[in-house]
Amino acid sequence: MAGGPNKALLAEIASRPGRDTIASNLIKWGFIAVSLAFLAALLFAPLITVFATALSKGWQMYIASFEDSDTLAAIRLTLTTAAIVVPLNTVFGICAAWAIAKFEFKGKSVLLTLIDLPIAVSPVISGLVYVLLFGVHGWFGLWLQEHDISIIYALPGIVLATMFVTFPYVARELIPLMQQLGNDEEEAAITLGAGGLMTFFRVTLPKVRWGLVYGVILCNARAMGEFGAVSVISGHIRGQTTTMPLHVEMLYNEYNFVGAFAVASLLTMLAVVTLVIKTLVEWRTGIRKH
Amino acid sequence: MSITLDQVTKRYQGAPVVNDVSLEVAEGEFFVLLGPSGSGKSTLLRAIAGLTGVDHGRIALHGKDVTHISARHRGVGLVFQNYALFKHMTVAENIEFALRVRRMKAAERRARRKELLRLVALEGMDDRLPTQLSGGQQQRVAVARALAHKPQVLLLDEPFGALDAKIREELRRTIRQVQRELNITTVLVTHDQEEAFALADRIGVMNLGRLLETGKPHELYATPATRFVATFLGAANLLLARQTADGIRFGAAPVDARATEKLDGMREHEVVAVVRPEEIELAPTRDKLRTNYIGSGTIDEIVFTGALERMRVRLANGGVGSQLSTSANDAPAILEVTRTQHEQRHFPLTPGQAVAIGVRRIHVLPTPLSSYTACAADKAGAERLASHPFLVELASRMKTRIVTRVEPALGSLDGQRADKPISGVAVIAARADAAAQVEWLLENGAAEVLVLPTHIAPPQRVLIHWLDEGARRPTLAVAASLLRHVPAEAVYVGIMPENANDSQRPFGVRTLLDARSEAQAVHGLEMRTELRFGAAAEELQRQLNAEPDQMLILGVSDLAQFRATCATLLSAATSASLMVVYQPTERRGTT
Repeated sequence: MAGGPNKALLAEIASRPGRDTIASNLIKWGFIAVSLAFLAALLFAPLITVFATALSKGWQMYIASFEDSDTLAAIRLTLTTAAIVVPLNTVFGICAAWAIAKFEFKGKSVLLTLIDLPIAVSPVISGLVYVLLFGVHGWFGLWLQEHDISIIYALPGIVLATMFVTFPYVARELIPLMQQLGNDEEEAAITLGAGGLMTFFRVTLPKVRWGLVYGVILCNARAMGEFGAVSVISGHIRGQTTTMPLHVEMLYNEYNFVGAFAVASLLTMLAVVTLVIKTLVEWRTGIRKH
Repeated sequence: MSITLDQVTKRYQGAPVVNDVSLEVAEGEFFVLLGPSGSGKSTLLRAIAGLTGVDHGRIALHGKDVTHISARHRGVGLVFQNYALFKHMTVAENIEFALRVRRMKAAERRARRKELLRLVALEGMDDRLPTQLSGGQQQRVAVARALAHKPQVLLLDEPFGALDAKIREELRRTIRQVQRELNITTVLVTHDQEEAFALADRIGVMNLGRLLETGKPHELYATPATRFVATFLGAANLLLARQTADGIRFGAAPVDARATEKLDGMREHEVVAVVRPEEIELAPTRDKLRTNYIGSGTIDEIVFTGALERMRVRLANGGVGSQLSTSANDAPAILEVTRTQHEQRHFPLTPGQAVAIGVRRIHVLPTPLSSYTACAADKAGAERLASHPFLVELASRMKTRIVTRVEPALGSLDGQRADKPISGVAVIAARADAAAQVEWLLENGAAEVLVLPTHIAPPQRVLIHWLDEGARRPTLAVAASLLRHVPAEAVYVGIMPENANDSQRPFGVRTLLDARSEAQAVHGLEMRTELRFGAAAEELQRQLNAEPDQMLILGVSDLAQFRATCATLLSAATSASLMVVYQPTERRGTT
């Protein structure tokens, strides 16, 4: 190819007129400083508090708080819930995104709005809805009782509430991406003789994989951290229906600060790990764009 | 035949985007579908590939009906405008995709890939990712990928659209070479006429969903049958002339009949002549011209474009004076002229200079619809009619003019004659006594009369019917000409008497089929046919009432019969527009 700066660099130069002037530099550093100040006050300080309190009585106490059987049960429940919810919502998200991005049909905008609904509805309400549906005095309560099926105050209820709260994440991440990427590659694959499944796994999925990973990470983070909806539906049965966020609250209310903050620190670390993966994904996606 | 399309129609939200297209592409032929954007050419290509379903008609590849076979099993190669390469796969993986689908062995795949890369001149690029290639290289990979599974048909959808002029030309040459080498039947879609000329064995021109004409590039250029093709393929001056027994006349100037087609015995009438800018000769005076003089004018503007000199010549009043123009009827006529370097040296020109104008060659379009004459009893009525939205739209699409004509006789209808014959299509407003007006106009030289209700939308469906066989030919000609400019579906309605017995029925069906095949063969018009039983006027009325936004083209050869059957139809049909085509019976013998 011809010499000179590459296309990406030229585009970047063109997209930022007036850079490298004194004024633009001042403004740049000003904005960065303000952002950092906010982060320090709202994010770093609480984070440090969590770890400081958790470790305030030394490592041994910290480790010991995880030996409690109820705590272990809470960790197990949280991981189980996430393990069920995230794959199901991933499948749902792909289906919904596929339907919306690839097809034209009546009621498309209604479906889009419905997918956004859980974000708009307060999580407490989401939990309450299931209590009203499946609770003893709910619509299906009697029937469920007769057949000895427990949904409320048990794992199925927790899973349902968590699913409800987290289902928009994958779909919302994929829809704009699929719409932007268009259909040409899929059509090319079909004319080359590929069937539906092959087109999906060999063409569509690789095309949207980073968007998908990003959506799954967000979905997972929310699934593990959900408090409101789960709190309503779980019944707070110690060692049985308490997820990690609920357990933290419980320990805190019992003035077991070290225990509470130890579990909180674990939750925080899960979140941090998730965010690190997310950042890696973003960095990787960013590279692929050029 | 390699590709056969039979009356393929595709509608989006009720409006046909591909309208009754029938086409045959021969084995090994390079066929180019040419048309402006929105003409339906890409939709048609996608229909051939199987990516778009059709609402009506049949598609066959190598004699095998594939209308209901999925794109996956049609075995065509398709190249997209924006390449559509699999971005996460290397060049090699892209090309081998179709082979992998077919579970071909790795060694064979590699051999085929090497062969294809050589074909598109990209040897050694196997391990690159598409993002590491230039646009032209990516499109080469796309071509190689589309050819990997040895498709019988290669389809290219504006493959050069996203490329620079220079790379475009290079790739064009590659594609032509590949096509020749493999002798693969190829259909390419483009809006660029230069590209079409450079590549095609045969060109099909599409507009408004219809395939207007097909032919070899030089034939289409020299003898187009339609206004659209004449002006879309290269530049053209469309002039109104009169065809008389001794040839074409522009105003008072006769043109040597040798240069044109022969008059076919019909009465003198207005015609549309195509004059290519390069067929015009300019000289200082009339006697210096070596060709037919058609008038004089002054140079308006000269543009130097390298090899050619382009200019606009303003015709002097009293010269041709009859150029088709949609904007204002009395605007001075402008001719587009191009001259070679040689001609420029011979007779240098500057703007403002007066010149004599001659033509080397003219081509008369076989369309019966030359121009529109809005007729009314008073000036206001004629002007109101001339600004009717549908008529204005129609005239602008046909690149023709609307003149107004005041005929007081239309108001009284007392048998008074017009002082000169009515030229072009006469247009009147729909009203209770429209039938009598139509009759008066037909008696006074009009061959076609268009009756327009005040408020109508462009028709979605055009019904065609003739009261007797004598009017068949001109009716079909008018229908074909009109339907090239109106995106509507054409339906021929054959009507038999209610009491038709069984022996007559086959005859009715045969008339229908004859009409369809004549429309197709002579006029390139695809239409559907319907057979009805009953009284003609009543049946037509019922059809017109069945749906909104329709138009009726009615062939007439006997005015008495017209009066008897259609007076009520005309006074009642207020929602549909009506075109009456008249071919007098007594003159039929002369054709």
